Amino acid sequence: MIDVNQAAKLGQEILNKQMSSLSKPFVYEDTAYHMPVSYALTGIVVHDPETAKHAYKLTNSNPIIATESLIAHSIATKGREASPYTGFIADTVIRKLGYSLVDGSILGLALVVGSPKSKDAAAAICRELQEKYMLTFLAGEVISALSNVGVKVGLEYRLIPLGATPKYGVHFVDIIARVAMMFGGVTPGDSHRLLTYATERAKAIVIVFPGLTPEEIASTDAMRVLGFPIFSINGYEGGEWIPVSPENAVRMGMEKKGIRVTVTAIPIPMGCSPAFEGKSIRKEEMYVEFGGGRSPAFELLQMKPQNEVTNGEVIVIGPEIDKMKEGSAQPLGLIIHVAGSMMKKDYEPVLERRIHNFVNYGEGSWHVAQRDLIWVRISKEAVAKGVKVEHIGKLLASKFRMDFPQLLDAVSVTLITDKEQVLIEKQKAETVYGERDARIRGMRDSDVDIYYSCTLCQTFAPNHVCVITPERPALCGAISWLDGKIAYEISPAGANQPIQKGQIINSQNGEFDGVNRFVKKASHGEIERCSLYSIMEFPMTCCGCFECIALMLPEVNGIMIVNREFKGVTPSGMTFSTLAGTIGGGAQTPGFAGISKNYILSDRFLQGEGGIERLVWMPAQLKEELRKRLEKKLLEKGIPNLFDKIADETKAVTIEELTKYLESTKHPALTMKPLV
Amino acid sequence: MEFNLNFGWSGSIGEVILGATNTDGGTRKRSYHIGGSSNLPFIDQKEFSESPLIAFEICDNVQYWSPIAKSACGDVINDVKDWAKTAETSYDADLVRLHLTSTRERGLRDVSFVKKVVENVLSATGLPLIIEGSNEPSIDSEVFQQCGEAGQGERLLLGTAEANRYRSIAAAALAYNHSVIAQSPIDINLAKQLNILLREIDVPHDRIVIDPYTGALGYGFEYSYSAMERIRFSGLKGDADLTMPMICSPIDTLNIKEVREADIQNQNTIAVMWEFYTGIAAAVAGAEIICIRHPKTVELLKKAFVALKTKNIYQG
Amino acid sequence: MALKALDIYKLLPKKNCKECGDPTCLTFAMKLAGGKGDIDLCPYLDENAKTVLGATTRPPIRLVKLGVGERSISVGEEFVFYRHEKTFYHQPGIFFSVSDNDTIDQIKKVTTIVRDETLTRVGVDLHFSGLAIRNESGSADPFARVISAIEEIADLPLILISDNPNALNNALVHCGTYRPLIYAADSENYKVLCEISKKHGCPLVVKASGLEKLAQLTKMCTKEGVTDLLIDPHPQTLGDFITASSTIRQLAITRMAPDLGYPVFYDASKTGQQDAAIALGIVKYASVIITDPFSTASTKAALTLRQNIYTDPQKPIQMNPGLYRIGSPNKDAPVLLTVNFSLTFFTLEGYLESTRIPCFMLIVDTEGLSVLTSVAAGKLNETLVRDSIKKFEVENEINHRKLIIPGYAAPLSGRIEEATGWKVLVGPRDAAEIGEFLIQEWKK
Repeated sequence: MIDVNQAAKLGQEILNKQMSSLSKPFVYEDTAYHMPVSYALTGIVVHDPETAKHAYKLTNSNPIIATESLIAHSIATKGREASPYTGFIADTVIRKLGYSLVDGSILGLALVVGSPKSKDAAAAICRELQEKYMLTFLAGEVISALSNVGVKVGLEYRLIPLGATPKYGVHFVDIIARVAMMFGGVTPGDSHRLLTYATERAKAIVIVFPGLTPEEIASTDAMRVLGFPIFSINGYEGGEWIPVSPENAVRMGMEKKGIRVTVTAIPIPMGCSPAFEGKSIRKEEMYVEFGGGRSPAFELLQMKPQNEVTNGEVIVIGPEIDKMKEGSAQPLGLIIHVAGSMMKKDYEPVLERRIHNFVNYGEGSWHVAQRDLIWVRISKEAVAKGVKVEHIGKLLASKFRMDFPQLLDAVSVTLITDKEQVLIEKQKAETVYGERDARIRGMRDSDVDIYYSCTLCQTFAPNHVCVITPERPALCGAISWLDGKIAYEISPAGANQPIQKGQIINSQNGEFDGVNRFVKKASHGEIERCSLYSIMEFPMTCCGCFECIALMLPEVNGIMIVNREFKGVTPSGMTFSTLAGTIGGGAQTPGFAGISKNYILSDRFLQGEGGIERLVWMPAQLKEELRKRLEKKLLEKGIPNLFDKIADETKAVTIEELTKYLESTKHPALTMKPLV
Repeated sequence: MEFNLNFGWSGSIGEVILGATNTDGGTRKRSYHIGGSSNLPFIDQKEFSESPLIAFEICDNVQYWSPIAKSACGDVINDVKDWAKTAETSYDADLVRLHLTSTRERGLRDVSFVKKVVENVLSATGLPLIIEGSNEPSIDSEVFQQCGEAGQGERLLLGTAEANRYRSIAAAALAYNHSVIAQSPIDINLAKQLNILLREIDVPHDRIVIDPYTGALGYGFEYSYSAMERIRFSGLKGDADLTMPMICSPIDTLNIKEVREADIQNQNTIAVMWEFYTGIAAAVAGAEIICIRHPKTVELLKKAFVALKTKNIYQG
Repeated sequence: MALKALDIYKLLPKKNCKECGDPTCLTFAMKLAGGKGDIDLCPYLDENAKTVLGATTRPPIRLVKLGVGERSISVGEEFVFYRHEKTFYHQPGIFFSVSDNDTIDQIKKVTTIVRDETLTRVGVDLHFSGLAIRNESGSADPFARVISAIEEIADLPLILISDNPNALNNALVHCGTYRPLIYAADSENYKVLCEISKKHGCPLVVKASGLEKLAQLTKMCTKEGVTDLLIDPHPQTLGDFITASSTIRQLAITRMAPDLGYPVFYDASKTGQQDAAIALGIVKYASVIITDPFSTASTKAALTLRQNIYTDPQKPIQMNPGLYRIGSPNKDAPVLLTVNFSLTFFTLEGYLESTRIPCFMLIVDTEGLSVLTSVAAGKLNETLVRDSIKKFEVENEINHRKLIIPGYAAPLSGRIEEATGWKVLVGPRDAAEIGEFLIQEWKK
């Protein structure tokens, strides 16, 4: 065992000596970047002992800088290494390699150096790198080891033999330095940007076999500063090299740098496409069904630590489909475990809802409802083609990775068809659902510092900016705060952006300076202020997608709501569509606001105007739709009899009738602070 | 009272360089700096700002090219070199836009010919080039690599990047110092998103030309017109991700019913008028490059742009 | 800055008297805020409120009506600089110019063209607007003769172009009751022309080089009692026009220069580049454009551009729902369903035509919403599809019962099958792939 730190220290001393014995000018050919690493880090054009020493000193004796010059110097004295070794690679080739990297046809870069104990293990590592679209550079005896077991090397095989000894591994760094300067906009001498590029963009890993000299250890170890993780196979200890077994080296390396191979095909014997989403499976077409009140069934998606999720793993516990009677109802527990460094617990329910879409994408699988209410069917046709329960799992595992490549590193699916087991796991799942509900229900606007915007509708409402908070979903009703958050994480350049809410300007109206700043910018300077909980002063703009419109009725000192489905004239004298035409298009119209149905049930609803006590009228159908939840809310607030005081079209059509009705029921709005 | 137009713009449109002359390491006879405006099109007070450029479109396989454009151009269409040369010398275009339509062939695998085609066109004309690469993701990488390499040093404008397909073009632009056309489907926010995606893989803003997608006149042109106005407005208001110049590429113009089915004696004039009205409106909405397929349109548009830039009484 | 409905409401009497025709004062306030109301309809406004509201709720650009009857047009009453901010409301009139030196036959020929030429696009008939008669003879009689010849055969809005008050007076004897537009008052002759304009109740163009002069002139004309004005900034180049008209529009809608709040008049025939000037006038705020009579090619392009630009961006153009034929489909031809959003229709139609496979397009009424939106909004649903198949008697046209639906409507496929009993094939999401789809899937 070699101690990395000690060896590196020794290597550094040897390099110092070698640097002081440089004797003549030297160059690399076919490059505009001189000694590329020296040039990128310091901006110095190194071409002789003086300049080399200067650069070495400026970089605090960086072993890579030394090795780079030493190799060039040795070419100047002894000439280049012979074929098959590439040695220093020309700019034109780098341009092509860099092209593939930006283009995405190469996912990352690997350097493999040293003398492997097992040729076959080395071959396996290189093959895996090839399969995973990694461009691999080799230095040292590993090259001859590969040739001996019949692995071909060369640019066309994405295995590039740099040189016969591990020191040539330093070219790996000069290649990345040149790619950074060619493609990454890194200017020579800007070491900070170079390091950032190397760390964040280059996606490079290093795998070390035994046999490195102290100098080679020193210059390899120096690559860590560029953000390259170094994995050692046999022979090294200490330092920050990560010892791995050969079979884990590539996977761990790729995970460490977040390199992902995208899934494109799903290996199941049925079609999988959004085109099949609407296909239902009728009873007579069905081979087997799960849930739907006929048998116990549930679905649950949860996140787990990375090491507890084996990507792509699908386990079926209980009988497979061939053991199930045609036309029968069977128990099903659908448990999905996901892992990913960006994954958060909050996303679980949002992702869980996608199970519905994904199962329906299957040509012979069908899914409705959610949680422990699910109902799943598999068609006879699909079963005849060989579809099994397992394949539903495969479909889900693949689709989740395909649709959320940034978010999820690993997805595994467990399908339980054993009744006992289903019942046990279902109970556990129900606890999780309960916790989730409590968490979302409990979430307050004041609990978070960040709200989310939605500017999807700017296509037709150019200055509209929706501000979405935990207690105030988007006015279309389709996007909650959590949806906004996850949409942003998945697509940071998308239509949902975080808004730092900033300092409170008016807590009653829900006006924040951060929100104002954001809205002003996103509305192209059109909207200066936006109060989240008021419809009278600086209400939010309206696009046209609102589920409902809330508007003041000054005559009765109250606020009415009309939903999109209601076609009649309201006590305001206007229909929904007249109102929508006037207030939509991205305008801010005091006295009027587009809102979602769920917002009516929020504690923040009408806060600026004194709360839900202002609500005087809404269509009967909407009232009925919200009845249960609204009654509960009113009970909590201690005003249970308000529900009946809120008029609908059966009580009042005109403003005059409404006034009478409200007076007869002694509606609280009549005696509140004047609205206008 | 002074009656002046003041919008209080806080931003300006960035410049993109098209073409490189020998002083810049290329072989073009001239190069253009497009963009740079800090006001609405033609309201700009800057005397030196460029008129919109006219890109004449040619292709290397005329199988699917509009028959009207083909007959208007005559025999030169059979040799892409002649065609490119004619666009410069006879039609008086500012740019040549080469569509590599030969890459559209179904099942095509070997695209090594692309490099030669691009080199041929470069040798035939001294105008800066726009190159439209493949339409097929599976050959993108190779096609754009070839285009990029063949035009190294020439500052080409490469098309067309879309949100789900931009990496190869971006790579070619970065590797060989070209610019890219970024196309989004008539939507300002999608245009912005694509520019951000390009920025994230290090394509600098001064190498991007926005193509908001132009529907043909009568077939959704109004959406494109407004998308262009909005992009220009946001750019001038200081939204850095929308300050790039724009290209108007109404590729369907000569294929729409009014043109395709026009009676034979009027067909040519209708084709020209359709391109011309589209071109004027797009230029006024903010497009810096107008793509044209009928030779006669070039001259008319050029004349109009001169008149639009001439101000005798009203200086803006 | 325009007043918001709430601010306006505060100034109203709040009586809900309904005398303005609206059920509540709030409704009336909403109309005023949108520039669509008339404060004079409220009988109970106090003077102060009237002054405040008058200045801010009147449309920033005056609405002027030209001509009478079916072919009369209204121009002006615009509110925005960019069409995407709301919409452009009143498309420019395009007038063919003739001279009183032309023969009566020539003039009748042009008149007939303007009267009859119709371009039908997306279910709308597009026309030219009227005739502009130039008094190039310099004398009154030929001018009057030409005008009466036109009046004999057409009821079209006219523009009388003359600097001879006698000629105008004479001509107006023939056509004064039909609201022709008089061209043009300048600082020299405005008093006389205002007299004539008032006498016949006709709108008047004022012209001047320079916006300050124009504003002064409109002010003086309104003092003389003429308010139905158009303004001609008298540009010498296309660059002059775009600068002047953009400035006028911006200053008018922001109410910075109320004296420029009138529709803009543009004589494209004097530019030497008529087509360029027409295109420019259409997109950049001209309300009346004069041109020499022009070719079919220019006609189609100009009318189409005008239709495009004056389409309400928030109300997509809709196709008439129905069964459309591509080529001559037989009873085995495919039926493709899509929505009646014009852009969707045209895009699909274009791709279908290029496939050269004869087929039917079943266009259902989604109120102009695109496929994606109409599916999301529930507008496109199985009931609509079932009813449309019945209404347009699709089953009589074909032997099979297979329907191709747009890719984005895939979630509906099962329900459509149940509601109609047809077999549903889900087509591609992108219309560009329809040819490939028909070859691959339909032929199967």
